[in-house]
Amino acid sequence: MPASDAIDMDVGAASRPRFRLRRSLGSLVRPSEAGLKASHFRRPWLAAGLVAPQLLILLFFFFIPTWKALSLAFVQVDPFGGTMIFVGLDNFTSLFSSPEYRDSAVLTLWFTVVQCFVTLFIAGLLAFATDQVMRGRAIYKGVILLPYAIAPAISGVLWAFLFNPTVGPLAQMLHDLGYAWDPNRRPFDALLLVSVAAIWKHICYDYIFLVAAFLAVPASVIEAAAIDGARPVRRFLTVTLPMAAPTIFFLIVMNFVYGLFETFGIIDTITHGGPAGSTNTLVYKVYQDGFRQLDLGSSAAQSVVLMAIAVLFTILQFRAVERKVNYQV
Amino acid sequence: MASTYVKSVTGLLAAGALLMAATGASAEERVKIEWWYAISGKLGETVQQLISDFNKSQDKYELVGTYKGNYEETMAAMVAAYRVNQQPAILQSAERGFMTMLNSGAVIPVDQLMAKQGYNVDWNDFIKPVAGFYIVNGKPAALPFNSSTPILWYNADAFQAAGFDAPSDTWQGLEKQLYALKEKKITDCPMALPGDFQWSLIENYSAINNYPFGTKANGYAGLDTEFVYNKTGVVGQVARLKKWVDDGVLKIAGQGVAPISLYTSGTCATIINSTASHSAVEADAKFKWSAAVIPHEEGVQPKNGTIGGASLWAIKGKPEEVQAGVAAFFNYVAQPDVQEWWSKATGYVPVTNAAYEKMKAEGYFKDHPTREIPIEQLSRGEPTENSRGFRFGNHNQSTAILIEEIQAVWTGKKTPQEALDNSVKRGNEILRQYEKLHAGK
Repeated sequence: MPASDAIDMDVGAASRPRFRLRRSLGSLVRPSEAGLKASHFRRPWLAAGLVAPQLLILLFFFFIPTWKALSLAFVQVDPFGGTMIFVGLDNFTSLFSSPEYRDSAVLTLWFTVVQCFVTLFIAGLLAFATDQVMRGRAIYKGVILLPYAIAPAISGVLWAFLFNPTVGPLAQMLHDLGYAWDPNRRPFDALLLVSVAAIWKHICYDYIFLVAAFLAVPASVIEAAAIDGARPVRRFLTVTLPMAAPTIFFLIVMNFVYGLFETFGIIDTITHGGPAGSTNTLVYKVYQDGFRQLDLGSSAAQSVVLMAIAVLFTILQFRAVERKVNYQV
Repeated sequence: MASTYVKSVTGLLAAGALLMAATGASAEERVKIEWWYAISGKLGETVQQLISDFNKSQDKYELVGTYKGNYEETMAAMVAAYRVNQQPAILQSAERGFMTMLNSGAVIPVDQLMAKQGYNVDWNDFIKPVAGFYIVNGKPAALPFNSSTPILWYNADAFQAAGFDAPSDTWQGLEKQLYALKEKKITDCPMALPGDFQWSLIENYSAINNYPFGTKANGYAGLDTEFVYNKTGVVGQVARLKKWVDDGVLKIAGQGVAPISLYTSGTCATIINSTASHSAVEADAKFKWSAAVIPHEEGVQPKNGTIGGASLWAIKGKPEEVQAGVAAFFNYVAQPDVQEWWSKATGYVPVTNAAYEKMKAEGYFKDHPTREIPIEQLSRGEPTENSRGFRFGNHNQSTAILIEEIQAVWTGKKTPQEALDNSVKRGNEILRQYEKLHAGK
């Protein structure tokens, strides 16, 4: 908008010949109008002005950080930026040859896959049950949606405290049951705790989408199945679930993104990536190495690797959305 | 209605004018000095008290202190800010970040700053262990501010119930006592593992027992230093701690609980923690608490422990009038009266001899015997190359690795020897990286 205003003012103030020149120049750059949509911008400046805010956001929050990460990934640098040595691919080779990084990658994969499918399974179960609940459906939905309203850091601190082996009440219960619960010394316990907290936090997200997807299944189809003698569970498995497949695929991608990138707050508050790196996922490692230990070169190389993964998931997600759009009942 | 409104507004204005007249110069006229610090809780409150006292003591500068998270977080904030020229004028940085700050090119050596601004500070008056750490080539790099050392805190009631007068001064003796506390069912938690155990139970252990932690006098004699703690008594120390953890004698607090609170609440009978815990222990412990020096190995003549805590760095890139304000604040902090007040309020060691002598003359240590323990521990024996302190580049990074590897011992994934070998190997890579970046400095 501001750009087009500027042009108009310019036109008003300028003399005739200059205006003509501009118009002839404009006709040179202006593409043929054949094949354009019926409603399109005739003045390219207006269009540019309208997309400018979005482009600026992309510039500041995407392109500049990307450039920074890329430029740091190939150097070793003093934290204050005083000395910088170009090291080529050294940061990447030492990363891929480091057993700690490999452990972190395997852990991240395991954690993400388990988190993804367990979340989906529980959310699916709850969404299926929503249809069966007759009384107090609003309360039921409200309770399930509650965790989403709690900040990850807050919920993380609560989980850490409840399951603290020395003072936590729930840890005490586990001890009484004869389970030697100790996330400080048993990597499996730590991983279990982080996974449960991450799943608990994300069930509501999957739940909302699944409830909507199940509701979108036309009653006529379900009634037809009922007349054919299918019971609720069978109707759910053979009719509702396949028709909700695009949503499920979309949720799988979203759960992966969540597990990979958004569980940072939970890990930071519950385990700090420990014990001995047993809950140190790739994203948390970028933070640990870059912001705790100020090894900016390695941290930048790690974020470049993560960026490649993120791009992959973005493509997958677009595919998923496309399929959903094209899906017709 | 309207007249009341006018009246109240004029009244407010008059009150404001009076207030401004009373405080002398208004806030806008004062030069703002930004200080980022890294200690919280009761210690943080004391910092805010110090700031407001300084602001009241003069009318030219307004010191603004901001808590930026723990030492690592504050350092990370500083690095990010410095790169975009938004740095504070003063930074509180821990001893672990000493080399990083020293070679950063972002700091003004404190003696140059003070001399330029016309302050005469007696740098020889700092107590020996503090001076030994912060003075590089005869010149102080930063102003020692909150210096601490870990001491053994114990629950005197629990020790008495088990029939002991005080903790043993050797690890072997202490082990028997802690196991006795557990066997006699006096406590389920004889000792809590501190959050910074690598400092109190590993590095200080190495210094007090006179083992080398790295070559080249623990890094004092050159950047080409290498870690060697996988070949010293430290291996046995980690094995001992692992045994204690397995036997339930040493408890790991874990996330969500501050280890010191396990001691002050009476849950655990002992903890080896910073002397700066005095403020928390004095306020919260409801039992007969006391403290002692850290034990040493049987048959070893103990040396001094190393200092922890932090110092204040003057940061480059600030206008002249701000630098003058920084110097004024540093000068204020170095006054014996302020030192004494700060030490008493926090439990940090008085860093100048003047302040120490003053407190001694007042008989403060007679009434508060645990306050003298850190000083005793810091000045045990003649300092050696092994006990003077540590100067390792990127020490934050190698520390994080050491902690991670020792955690692998707790989990049973590695033996103490395997873990420390790997820790030394990874730590040396970091030292070489640092050496490469800072060659010739």
